[in-house]
Amino acid sequence: MAVLEGAIVYSNLLVLLGIGLTITYITTGVPNFAQGSMAVCGSYLSMTLWLTSGLHPYYSLLFSFIIGGGIGVGIYAFVLRPLVRKEATVVTLMIATLAVDLILLGILGAYSETLADLTKKATKKFIFTPMDFNLFGYDAILVISSCIILLLLLILFFLLYRTRFGIALRASMENPALAGIMGVDVEHTRLFSWFLSGSLAAVAGSMLPFRQEIVPVTGTLIIVSIFAASIVGGLRSIYGALAGGYIIGISESLVTFYLSIALGPGVLVYGKVVSLIVLVIALIAAPMGIAGLGIWRSKRWRWNSSS
Amino acid sequence: MALEFFLLDVILWFAIYLIIVLSLNIEYGYAGIPNFGRAMAALVGAIAVGYGVNHLLMLILGINGEIIEASGTVKSTVNVMISQNPLLGMGILLFSLLIAALMGAAAGVLFILPSAKLRHDYLAITLLAISEVVYQVSNYNTSIIGGYYGVSVPDIMAWVPGERRFFAFALLGMGVALLVFLFVEKLLNSPYGRLLKAMRENEDVVAAFGKDILVLRIKTAAIGSGIAAMAGALYSLFSVNVIASTFFRVEWTFFPFLMLLLGGMGNNRGVALGVLSFVLGKIFLTVYKFEIASILRLPFEATWLEYILFGVLMLLILYYRPDGLIREKPVMTPEIKRMLKKKSIKEQR
Repeated sequence: MAVLEGAIVYSNLLVLLGIGLTITYITTGVPNFAQGSMAVCGSYLSMTLWLTSGLHPYYSLLFSFIIGGGIGVGIYAFVLRPLVRKEATVVTLMIATLAVDLILLGILGAYSETLADLTKKATKKFIFTPMDFNLFGYDAILVISSCIILLLLLILFFLLYRTRFGIALRASMENPALAGIMGVDVEHTRLFSWFLSGSLAAVAGSMLPFRQEIVPVTGTLIIVSIFAASIVGGLRSIYGALAGGYIIGISESLVTFYLSIALGPGVLVYGKVVSLIVLVIALIAAPMGIAGLGIWRSKRWRWNSSS
Repeated sequence: MALEFFLLDVILWFAIYLIIVLSLNIEYGYAGIPNFGRAMAALVGAIAVGYGVNHLLMLILGINGEIIEASGTVKSTVNVMISQNPLLGMGILLFSLLIAALMGAAAGVLFILPSAKLRHDYLAITLLAISEVVYQVSNYNTSIIGGYYGVSVPDIMAWVPGERRFFAFALLGMGVALLVFLFVEKLLNSPYGRLLKAMRENEDVVAAFGKDILVLRIKTAAIGSGIAAMAGALYSLFSVNVIASTFFRVEWTFFPFLMLLLGGMGNNRGVALGVLSFVLGKIFLTVYKFEIASILRLPFEATWLEYILFGVLMLLILYYRPDGLIREKPVMTPEIKRMLKKKSIKEQR
């Protein structure tokens, strides 16, 4: 049972990261390789707040949300927007996000060692698991991360389908050029998407230490799972990312766990191999992901032709 | 002495990185395949030496046991043999490069297959993901190349006295790099190279002329990864051990891309210039690491600063000089030259 709980927590975090990755991919057209390091920024922020002011990581989620959003907007405004204006290719933009990932990694490494130097505590590696408590008979992380997902989905649904901004946002996701002609400020929607992506990543990062140990390079390791979740979801659909996150999270945790029962504990370190295999199967069987499968297509076509 | 050491370091790293970046130039510079999994090919080359060559030598010498301990025994036995017979060292070198190239090419083909027919962003993501997973598996699994313990590799220069070894190896590395350079130059200055450039510019046009994009991509990945694997093998033979964690994505994927873009992609001279400038900068940073940290009173390792600097450099290149130091020149085959000449004569009349 504990394994299932852990799998759900992990999936919840992957969903947050996958939705963030997907939403910036839709608006800006670039897969963000810095998504993992953006999350680890949130982890270090929570750790710092806990160390300096004793703030419990659950309370620091709000700070993560705001500062993470700031990082996301910063990456877009200072790195990607100038390149997009020069009509850089997708690959150039991807290389730029790789560079951002490296810069973030450098900053995180430098920061963690500086902090260790100042506080005389081991801050390079850390984990929050001992600080977790019991909530309604479950680990608090399970309840809280699930609530955040539900809240996020409600807010996103309301925002996308019940507000004027949501209409503009969806329009610029479907066809940025056309939306621009119709008077939508595509720049606003892009800034918003990067804010949301950064803040969701940082929130996920703040909760990640409840599940695994954090080191500066953690971001470069989890990127495989994040991309697997997004690609299985289709890379262009928020709901796809939701489903993809659960598929990858559950298979990475549970499949590895059952394999380890059958084959011995040595298998446990190969969780990422499972994600990769799921990713490869998805690419071969359904390259457009879950959201691109035929069952949805007929419906969408009808909707298109009637409107 | 210090200067000599610095120069040798520059020469050796120039050789290794030149091979890697040339391979990337074939794949990304010419063919436009964004291979974000370059580190994987280099690691496969290291595996070819650490696993393949070691196992073969174990078989020949009749040494049994776990690869970590057995490779130590192989190393000490073979080192003695090489110190008496330099030709054996050369034989091991050639054999290592050969199987590294073969294994690298096979891995390149195998791992590009899932995404070979997809768009560039999917291709990049999948190759990066595969590279990360191969890295993690070889880091955890101690039976391939000893995981984080690593395995030993025979010293092919065991016949050279200790103080000259570095010099000999830098020379050897340079020789291999030069051969690879000539080969790549010859390979790309051909209809095949021009076809790759055409594919980079517009895949649909190439497809319309009856070329199969899928096959071209797979072929190019095989050649590129094969060459990159040779760099991994060469590095392993130099450091006389193989540890998976040295094939970190930053050093073997990001830095090659940085060098390629710095020098200018699509032309091999630019690549050489880019590699040279980068290696000079990097070795300078590595040598004066502690001085830099103490002068700036950094409370952290200078490696992190290096990451930040190179990341910023990449962004500056992408923004201010996307063509690199040496710009790619238009292709001038004799045929094109003749046509241009005819045209200019016509215009003169």
